[in-house]
Amino acid sequence: MTRKQRRLTLIGVAGCILAIALGLVLYAMNDTIVFFNSPADVQAKNVQPGTRFRLGGLVKEGSVQRGDNQQVAFEIMDGQGSIRVNYTGMLPDLFREGQGVIAEGALEHSGVFRADSVLAKHDENYMPREVADTLRRQGLWQGDSKASQQTQ
Amino acid sequence: MVIWIILLAMTAAAVMAVLWPLSRHYAVSGQADPNTQFYREQIDEIERDRERGVLLPNEAEAAKAEAGRRLLRATGMEDVAVAVGEPALRRRRAASTLALSVLPILAIAIYGAYGSPHLLGQPPVMAARGPATPSDLATAISQIESHLAQNPQDGRGWEVIAPVYVRMGRMGDAVKAYEAALRHLGPDANRLANYGEAMVLAKDGLVSSEAQGIFEQAVKLDGTSPKARFYLARAAEQDGQIDKAKAGYAALLAGSPADAPWTAVVEEQLARLEGPQTVSRQDAEPQMGADDILRMVSGLASRLEAQGGSADEWARLMRSYAVLGQRDKAADAAQRARQALAQDDAGLKTIDMMARELKLTDAQP
Amino acid sequence: MLVEAGHFALALALGLSLIQFLVPLWGARTNDPVLMSVGPSTALAVLACLAFAFLALTVAYVTSDFSVLNVVENSHSAKPLIYKISGVWGNHEGSMLLWVLILALFGAVVALAKSSVPVRLQANTLAVQAAITIAFLLFILMTSNPFVRVVPAPVEGQDLNPLLQDLGLAIHPPLLYIGYVGFSISFAFACAALIDGRIDAVWARIVRPWTLGAWAFLTLGIAMGSYWAYYELGWGGWWFWDPVENASLMPWLAGTALLHSTVVMEKRDALKVWTILLAILTFSLSLLGTFLVRSGVLTSVHSFAVDPERGSFILGILTIFIGGSLALFAWRAPLLKQGGIFAPVSREGALVLNNLFIATACATVFIGTLYPLALEVLTGDKISVGAPFFNFTFLPLVIPLLMLLPFGQTLAWKRGNFLGTAQRLYAVFGVVIVATLVMLAFTAGGPVGAPLGIGLGAFLVLGSLNEIVTRSWSRGSPLSVTWRKARNLPRSAWGTALAHAGVGVTVIGIAATAWDLEGMDTLKIGDRISAGPYTVRLERVVPRQEANFREDVVTLRVFRNGNEIGMVDTMKRLYVTRGMPTTEAGIVTIGLSQIYASVGEVRPDGSIGLTLYYKPLVLLIWLGAVVMAAGGALSLTDRRLRIAAPAPARSIPVASVPAE
Repeated sequence: MTRKQRRLTLIGVAGCILAIALGLVLYAMNDTIVFFNSPADVQAKNVQPGTRFRLGGLVKEGSVQRGDNQQVAFEIMDGQGSIRVNYTGMLPDLFREGQGVIAEGALEHSGVFRADSVLAKHDENYMPREVADTLRRQGLWQGDSKASQQTQ
Repeated sequence: MVIWIILLAMTAAAVMAVLWPLSRHYAVSGQADPNTQFYREQIDEIERDRERGVLLPNEAEAAKAEAGRRLLRATGMEDVAVAVGEPALRRRRAASTLALSVLPILAIAIYGAYGSPHLLGQPPVMAARGPATPSDLATAISQIESHLAQNPQDGRGWEVIAPVYVRMGRMGDAVKAYEAALRHLGPDANRLANYGEAMVLAKDGLVSSEAQGIFEQAVKLDGTSPKARFYLARAAEQDGQIDKAKAGYAALLAGSPADAPWTAVVEEQLARLEGPQTVSRQDAEPQMGADDILRMVSGLASRLEAQGGSADEWARLMRSYAVLGQRDKAADAAQRARQALAQDDAGLKTIDMMARELKLTDAQP
Repeated sequence: MLVEAGHFALALALGLSLIQFLVPLWGARTNDPVLMSVGPSTALAVLACLAFAFLALTVAYVTSDFSVLNVVENSHSAKPLIYKISGVWGNHEGSMLLWVLILALFGAVVALAKSSVPVRLQANTLAVQAAITIAFLLFILMTSNPFVRVVPAPVEGQDLNPLLQDLGLAIHPPLLYIGYVGFSISFAFACAALIDGRIDAVWARIVRPWTLGAWAFLTLGIAMGSYWAYYELGWGGWWFWDPVENASLMPWLAGTALLHSTVVMEKRDALKVWTILLAILTFSLSLLGTFLVRSGVLTSVHSFAVDPERGSFILGILTIFIGGSLALFAWRAPLLKQGGIFAPVSREGALVLNNLFIATACATVFIGTLYPLALEVLTGDKISVGAPFFNFTFLPLVIPLLMLLPFGQTLAWKRGNFLGTAQRLYAVFGVVIVATLVMLAFTAGGPVGAPLGIGLGAFLVLGSLNEIVTRSWSRGSPLSVTWRKARNLPRSAWGTALAHAGVGVTVIGIAATAWDLEGMDTLKIGDRISAGPYTVRLERVVPRQEANFREDVVTLRVFRNGNEIGMVDTMKRLYVTRGMPTTEAGIVTIGLSQIYASVGEVRPDGSIGLTLYYKPLVLLIWLGAVVMAAGGALSLTDRRLRIAAPAPARSIPVASVPAE
């Protein structure tokens, strides 16, 4: 093979791999990406049942009902509404009423959200960022009003 | 003083680290050029491998030829020519000056800007403090905390630690501690008032409706509780009911001995309320300072927004906006009130009536 | 007093770094050896200053000096000593101090390598490295100063995040940082070569140990982080494609590519420009990782504080270094002498293919990690790109790479013969195919992915073994000769085989996760729950009080097919100071498999929610990573990587470079 042919082979192989990767990425972008919605967004965007998305908001006080086999039902709310969520499985350690959570799953035809995973914050200073943004926009959450320390 | 000597010594050592190589005579001799050295070693290694039979002779020849080509390319690229003469000396002097000036100046400027040199003069307080000292307050607190963790039903303990939390600024913990104390020791006017106060402090001085309820309960148990009455008056003030607030403060003053520790504070509050904008009677709302009204209204709005409130409060907010001529905001408040009170039929009726009264027809859902 | 002296040392280090940046650069420009020799001595002085500062902070932590804000926020006098020490870097400020300390440490090592590194290259490298130190020291002093004091000092600290009070996590950040910062040395060498306009095999030889070491540490760091997430978060998962995990995976991938391209450069004097670019990209991705994790753009347990000022500062550093180095690259790279081009079917050709695949895979991770951020900035839409995206894009790129790996490893340098290579591998190939078919037959009805993946992993392990065997054994040669030949193989050849086998081991572990089983129930005392052949019975739930937390200890009796094999505890903890609950998973290791019990909630009536997983061969995932790192370390000890060091008198010389 001549020098030129070798160079062309290299470029060809590189082009092929990149094209395959690009195709995969574009296809996956359509298929696997999950949007984040607050209960208000769900109403506003009229999200169809069966579409996977992440639902984020605060766990409504007094709404958590635990059943057998680690079944849990609760409501996720924001300033404008709340959506009932059914979930089976381990809840994160910091799942509590009044706390910010994100549930991933889809709406059923009854309007109940069936979640297959629930995320809460990792530590007590952390509110899932999307939830914090939504709530801040709606004026429900002012952030941690930590007593400021006197520093030098 | 010792510390300054130490800092000085550190600076001097750092400057020396720069000056030392500058003062040395650079020894080139005996130092092989790593560029060519690399290939020479390679050739030697190939030779050794061939002798041991790891490499076949023809392989070794090819490898040696390749390494030799590279060696040839690398020679004549000698890295360093020993620089002598005037320009080199000048460069050296410049570098020394740089080290002598930049290093101390920069270090002291940076340290001066971000450090705490004034703490150096003080005796090292921390030396005495450590987890081992039993009299230490920190240890005491952590002891009480772990005691309470084991015996959470010990209401006395909670009551002891709560004011400590308040003093340390850990308001959230204080609220929780008072809560626990109340649960285990039962309600008592004083305890309730302290609990309410912690809640107020935790909210940076805002008397929430929850806290207001606590104070009301305290007053019910003991009508003279000064703390509870004080905060109730303040709640009225924050809700914009200035007259009620004034009455509250005045009654508190009247009912307490002249040398009570809170007298001064209450008088101050009262004086503030009766300040320059003092108006004759209650129907004088339009004559009040516009700023005051705006402040009150926005205070009420943000409180309702954050914590919700009764139908009457929402109605008051609507009326306030209407009086201020901000009809769009009034309509907005009506809408929000309807959302907030969706479960409360009587409340909705109140809101509807107010909306009709204010002719906010556009606010109908 | 010590704290203030430490603070001053930090300021002094900044001044020294400035000199370390300016003077050697000037010396290299004017070819003045005296000015250049300022570089090594200042590099050592910077190390001394930073080590002292770090020591001062550590002492403040150990003695619980609550006049230091950083100690107040992250420590507690009741904390065990080990976590007081690990608390030094368990927070943002301290971890950045550790970062520059490691940077200075590596700079000092470069400074001490007098005989093996050409003087000009060393001077330029130290200057670039000093520039990085300056940027990070400014960042620390201006936005994340660990020496800020509190007056009056509070009486007690706020404790370290309990999730971070764990031995695994105490050593995870240092490992990662050694990796990240090690790549910064490769980066500094790359920039130095660009400044000098000269690059050759000697450069590759010098850079390779750095890349190799950094890569080995990063491998361990990532594995440690993954194992930590596995047992500490209590979800039984080991990789979540979380942005923070991706932030460490990207430099690892780029570093892996760099590792292989330096080999080509060292042996064949080719791929120069690409190697330089990879060195720049690898460190850029390390910086990006630091930015993503530290700025709070991504919120997770790693983001100690969300602080826009810090974020924009790191973004500034990022822009200067990535933009600056790429500009330098664009300007100077065309001046570099191009290396030769080579046959597509050859070891170097295979390594190029490896680079293409890995770089592309890295790019898909990059897109998946940053696309949500970009989209949110541009349109305000919030999306999450999770495991499905990465499984769909990353795996199809990595699986062919792994399938080709044994072939590439077997190919000869310069001109290889694909058929000959295939012949050398046919036995292995046959064994693997048969074994896979047998596994498929035995597990018919189960997931197909597991046998296929295990087959792939076995192909990698056996392929590596085959490489060693065929290189030392020939038909008819006696065992003693074979043994001598095998021992005489370069240690780097053993290292390569070991690292590739490690990849195979990890692949087997990952593939076996398809066989995971789980059970989930609410249990009362005496109730049982099963996962696969294993059953646990709830024995008791006992509260317990420790120094800084209290917990409910759930004790389980474990049975296999009805026979008792032991007891295990799983805990629900509450850290008192922060009021934060955590779950401690109960893990029983049986061979390479694990049974993993995790308690969900403890109800007032004493019943508990429990999830039980059976995870066959799960330990192989991390064991493989350890094997990979061991391969890297073995390769690192190869004498041929150290150049001018005189050979010890009785050492066994190893094969030469071009003819390996």
